[in-house]
Amino acid sequence: MNVIEIKNLSKTFGNLKAVDNLSLSIGEAELFGLLGPNGSGKTTTVKILTGQMKPTGGKALILGIDVLKNPVEVRKLVGIIPEQETPPSFLTAEEYLHFVAKIRKMKDLDVCNHWFSFLDFEDEKDVLCKDLSRGTRQKLMFAQAFLHEPKVAFIDEPLINLDPIIQRKVKDYLKNYVKKKNTVFLCTHVLEIAEEICTKVGVLDRGKLIQECSIKDLKKKRKSLEDFFLKLVER
Amino acid sequence: MLLKAMIKEEWRIHSTLFGSFMFALFPIILLSFSFIGSLFLPLFQAMMPGRTIAMMLHYMFVLFGVSVGGFGLFGREAMNRRFGQASLLAYSSRSLPISERSIFLDFFVKDVIFYFVLWVLPITAGIGMALPFLQINLNIFLILLTLSLSFLIGLSAVFLLSTIYAHSSKLMIFLLVVIALAATSAFNISLINPLPSLSFFLAPTPEKLYFSLLLIIIPSGLSLIFLKVDYPQKKRHFKNSLDSLSKNIGTKYSQFIAKDFLDLHRSEGGLGKIIFSFLFPLLILWFLLSIFLNFLPGANFLVVFSLFLGIISSSIYNWLTEFDLFSAYAFLPVKVSSVIKSKLISYIIINLISLLILIVATLYSGQFAFFLPALFIFLSVSSYALAITLHLTGLYPNILLYNAKTFALYIFTISPVLLVLIFLSVWNPFSLIFSPILIPLSLAIIRKSYNKWDTWQNPTF
Repeated sequence: MNVIEIKNLSKTFGNLKAVDNLSLSIGEAELFGLLGPNGSGKTTTVKILTGQMKPTGGKALILGIDVLKNPVEVRKLVGIIPEQETPPSFLTAEEYLHFVAKIRKMKDLDVCNHWFSFLDFEDEKDVLCKDLSRGTRQKLMFAQAFLHEPKVAFIDEPLINLDPIIQRKVKDYLKNYVKKKNTVFLCTHVLEIAEEICTKVGVLDRGKLIQECSIKDLKKKRKSLEDFFLKLVER
Repeated sequence: MLLKAMIKEEWRIHSTLFGSFMFALFPIILLSFSFIGSLFLPLFQAMMPGRTIAMMLHYMFVLFGVSVGGFGLFGREAMNRRFGQASLLAYSSRSLPISERSIFLDFFVKDVIFYFVLWVLPITAGIGMALPFLQINLNIFLILLTLSLSFLIGLSAVFLLSTIYAHSSKLMIFLLVVIALAATSAFNISLINPLPSLSFFLAPTPEKLYFSLLLIIIPSGLSLIFLKVDYPQKKRHFKNSLDSLSKNIGTKYSQFIAKDFLDLHRSEGGLGKIIFSFLFPLLILWFLLSIFLNFLPGANFLVVFSLFLGIISSSIYNWLTEFDLFSAYAFLPVKVSSVIKSKLISYIIINLISLLILIVATLYSGQFAFFLPALFIFLSVSSYALAITLHLTGLYPNILLYNAKTFALYIFTISPVLLVLIFLSVWNPFSLIFSPILIPLSLAIIRKSYNKWDTWQNPTF
């Protein structure tokens, strides 16, 4: 069974087609990278797939659940790192993780401590979220998404504010996570990261999926992801 | 230039949500209501002298200025948190070579223009349009000037008080006590003198106009000079209070409610928010009713006060939603209705302050016999106004009420009920013991709202 099944998905804002008849299937243990220039519809796609936005047409099943009919059920099972949202200003980092854990009805709150040590911000867990650096907030958003060990994770630009040490940890974590038969749907501009960790990529341009390709195939053809991408989207 | 951009931004925030037309229609709807209301002026004139009506109207505009002026206290948060960390100009301009003071001055002027165009001008124009039908000899430009001055006096006073509060809460409380004592002593002297805009309206002289302007310029100027819009570099540390608080609350939504209270406690202003947006307007209401009800012999002060207390207390919901956005939960397994339910519980808890005020008002007035009808009317009005607000605006009352259609619906659903209740409270206060029939109706409206807002597409700014 495909973990993510998208059929003829579309979203229009007035005259603008943000997502245009998108169909895609992503299986278990895949780390799929959705690539595309600015405004190509990546974030809109993630918002639709996670039930944060309603599509104009089409259908999407996540772990067999229709996201249009049961958005909350889908969000229970998946982890999401949104592109823009930051944690609430007046909770501390620890309070925020506990807040999310309680929403997710997790009994064991000690699991939060693992994330503080893994992402190396134990000494900041009692700091108000609004006083944290961008990078630390990004770590917190990463932790909240994986706190409940979801089967699927949707992550939008997960590494952009992180230092190289944490970036390495996160990349390794994602690779191992996928090895455990989990699935990641990743949106990014950073082609080097996609090339390094993704198993498969799709290129979105003006809302249309113009090409899908496995990273293995690219490597076989001795092509870099950058060349592949630029050839497809260059105007 | 920044000011112009901020005005454009304010327009777009509202118009992108429900269309330019519906937003532009809002002042016209307000003008219509003001026009219709003004047609009843002869009725009031039959009850009380024209000077008293003028006084009430001017003090109401002071009250409006006071409630609007609270933004000086909320400052940065009103800019940031209302729209998340979105790149509002007031926030993003910090990266430009402009001082914090200039940014805040532009923000202040923008809000003055915004409220003037949206509220002060349409209300005054409505009065002006009604005058030819009433055979009342009034200079509409004079009333526009003096009502605007009254609004700005209220706004500047709170701006100054909130700046003082930002420096020293003790000093502000001391000043509030002084104001309260001055207001009490004002009962024994003419009420016209303390408000120069009003005395200018009744007998215009240049001195009164200058004095009015000074009452606006000096507090605003002082506030700007001593403005404290600091962006502290220091990290604030707190021990985990969320767990213990939510454990004590012990409901399904306890983590949201605990978060509401931590937000309230840790954000700027703290308790000042309650003082400025709730207690201060109530103080002015008390003062206005004390005068007005002298002309309505049958009306009971405690009962009428409770009715208005119910309306004002429903605004607690507005500021509970002002500092929280659903987009912060949209990626978690949370329904809009769950957040609404948690806000309702927070509302009930905070509304205990209103109940306390009602008890204090009963003790102060000595009208113990009227406590029960007063309590009933407070609970009924509070729940009904809340239910209507919730049904029409969900988690966005501060934005969606500016949709002309929503605003008109709000007025049409609330005012007839209020008029009937006001009539009953004058006719026989004890008839209000039947007012709780509004509570099951309110609960039904609230229940219906859950589904409506769960299926609504949440806006992004």
